[in-house]
Amino acid sequence: MSGHSNWPEWVYIGVVVALLAWVGAEAWNIERIVEHVPENAEVIKVTGQQWFWTFEHADGTVEKGELHVKKGVPYKFEVTSKDVIHSFNIPDYLVLMDAVPGRINTVWFLPVDEGEYPIQCREYCGLIHYNMRGTLYVEGGA
Amino acid sequence: MKNIIGLFMVLSLLVILPTVEIVFAAGDEPEQYIDRRVEIWNLFFRMMTVAFVVGAVVSGTLIWLIWRFRESHPKATPTKYEGTSELDR
Repeated sequence: MSGHSNWPEWVYIGVVVALLAWVGAEAWNIERIVEHVPENAEVIKVTGQQWFWTFEHADGTVEKGELHVKKGVPYKFEVTSKDVIHSFNIPDYLVLMDAVPGRINTVWFLPVDEGEYPIQCREYCGLIHYNMRGTLYVEGGA
Repeated sequence: MKNIIGLFMVLSLLVILPTVEIVFAAGDEPEQYIDRRVEIWNLFFRMMTVAFVVGAVVSGTLIWLIWRFRESHPKATPTKYEGTSELDR
């Protein structure tokens, strides 16, 4: 090994380690920011069961298959399931959270555009999984 | 050795220190509501930029290595083993 320079290897290792550290820190940081629920978020209990979604608002109002929310108000979903594992998904708002029996998972979002958006199950949950859909209505409000 | 230490210091300044800063910023939550779509897609685009740059550098290096050190390259220098049939044993 005499006369052999190995500094390129060290450069390579240094670059790889630095990049991995940066990628990890960035991802961790964004996840931390995204998961930080605003204190004034309204809670909506989301329950999945074969093969529809039930939404219970803080005031006790219950909706099945459709969800009405107000634009500009942050909402915190408490997601669970009554039977098998489902996954609560609002693709247009990048909301995705597993609905697991016996467990409450939380995810929050802020509706900013009025309109109708699809809600769907993202975890294969049986025969009619493909049609376990709902509609999110974002209405003008706050 | 000094070069390596210097290099690592530069790398630290460029990448590792900002990384540490991000970690220690934990707890300073944004005052305004964030739009998760913006945050998540921005992260995705940043990661894709890094991935494509790294991919271009790595594949470019490999292509250059193969081109430069091919046997038929005008500046190719035979190793001391070539022509001795030592490699055939």
